[in-house]
Amino acid sequence: MDLPFATILGAWVATGLTLFILSFLYEDNPVFKLAEHLYVGVSLGYTIVKTFDTVVMTLIVHPILDKGQWSLLIPVGIGTLMLTRYVPKAAWLSRYAFAFIVGVGAGLAIPRTISSFILKQIEDTVRPLLSIAPGEGVTFTFSLLNPASNLNGIIILIGVVSVLFYFFFSVEHSGPGKLVARAGIMFLMISFGAAFGYTVMARMSLLIGRLTDLIEFSDASYGRPTLWLLLLTVATLIVLSRRGNAHPPER
Amino acid sequence: MSFAERMLRIDRRIIFLVIGLCTLLPLLFPVGLPIKISSEVRGVYDYIDKLPEGSVFLLSLDFDPASKPELYPQAIAILRHAFRKNLRVVAMTLWVSGTGLADQIISQTAKEAGKESGKDYVFLGWSPGGSAVILNMGQDLYNTFPADYGGKATKGLPVLAGVQNLRDVAYAVTLAAGNPGVEAWYVFGKDKYKFELGGGCTGVMAPGLYPLLRSGQINGLIGGLRGAAEYETLVGQKGKAVAGMDAQSATHLAIIVLVAICNVFYFAMLRQQRRHERIGS
Repeated sequence: MDLPFATILGAWVATGLTLFILSFLYEDNPVFKLAEHLYVGVSLGYTIVKTFDTVVMTLIVHPILDKGQWSLLIPVGIGTLMLTRYVPKAAWLSRYAFAFIVGVGAGLAIPRTISSFILKQIEDTVRPLLSIAPGEGVTFTFSLLNPASNLNGIIILIGVVSVLFYFFFSVEHSGPGKLVARAGIMFLMISFGAAFGYTVMARMSLLIGRLTDLIEFSDASYGRPTLWLLLLTVATLIVLSRRGNAHPPER
Repeated sequence: MSFAERMLRIDRRIIFLVIGLCTLLPLLFPVGLPIKISSEVRGVYDYIDKLPEGSVFLLSLDFDPASKPELYPQAIAILRHAFRKNLRVVAMTLWVSGTGLADQIISQTAKEAGKESGKDYVFLGWSPGGSAVILNMGQDLYNTFPADYGGKATKGLPVLAGVQNLRDVAYAVTLAAGNPGVEAWYVFGKDKYKFELGGGCTGVMAPGLYPLLRSGQINGLIGGLRGAAEYETLVGQKGKAVAGMDAQSATHLAIIVLVAICNVFYFAMLRQQRRHERIGS
């Protein structure tokens, strides 16, 4: 199968940069720095170009010039005021733009966030600890696997109360209070453990993604970039390491 | 230096090598461990599966290439499912750096399913404003995205027939790698405009989103590569996520073994020190 030149070139670039980045696991070195700077530069460059094209050209210039939507000059003017930060004498003008943005942002976010997170989550935490089913009377469900079971409701209630108590520093954590605070610590540890477990899983997924690509690019149809560039990276690390040994840094 | 001490001071590069091998070997020689479907992933799948043909399905691809290994397989699996169900797919992104990747995902999946841009699906691209974009879409979709990613006017596109704003969307799923993402879509979208919402996210974000799932604020959650593998299994088209699950399991096992071994050596060293102190005194 003959692949287009652009695909092959992309495979070589991707493989090279991946190996350069992974070389950091051995030690910090110039090829890692090259890949790191390229990553930051390319992603920033892409963002600037895309933003310019979508915002400046598509949403401002074309509507004004082609459709005569002159009212767009008002938000453009407010936005431009931000640039006065670079002129010390006129920097005070930027406060109007910031005031507008902070005001709109806070106005939109505060009520919605309170309603969505604080009130909704409290509502979910204080659900009844016993269920009343029609025809069955008062029931209690024990399933740990069902998040809505009564047993889980009690566990969540104990967890929330004990964690809140742990962060309540106006009362000394002694006697029964110490027991509650310790339970709070246990719940926090379980929560941090779950978060850490998921974080490890996420990082491993990223490694799997990179290795999958490296395996794919070791194919002859790409010219085996994985093999050649791995040899190049290892050789570079050996040379750099020898040079470093020959000229140890002054202390 | 005792054996336990030497093991506890082991060069970290040896650990990297062990993890690297545990990842690489299952990728080269897959075992095919079974994948159990969780209720949170099934929540998204079942909702899409029950949507009538022609329903408007909004997919927001709120990630960039840095999160590709986890969210790319999720996006592919969901789109395959939506196209198979003949839903009208409206795709977009809130992340400017992910625009190209999102376009590639949609074009590739649509081509595979034989779907036509503008008729069966539309990629709206990116619009500035983050969370404000969701609010604007709730008011008027055409004001927020006057043209699709290809520059074609959105007004009059057959795929958007009868759609004025977010209230006309039957189901929305956001695949997010950060902010704006699932939370923004709930706060500024579902809570205000009342449409059903599902989420997909990176593994790092998943624990923080479980409270939203439990309270019913989102009806399903696809978490990380594991979630993607579950969705691929449900759709019946195994892809990159399923292929990566053997490696994922192997690395997890390696980490568990390393943690256990280190603890054994740590306690062995403590016992040794205490014995030395007793002999010394």
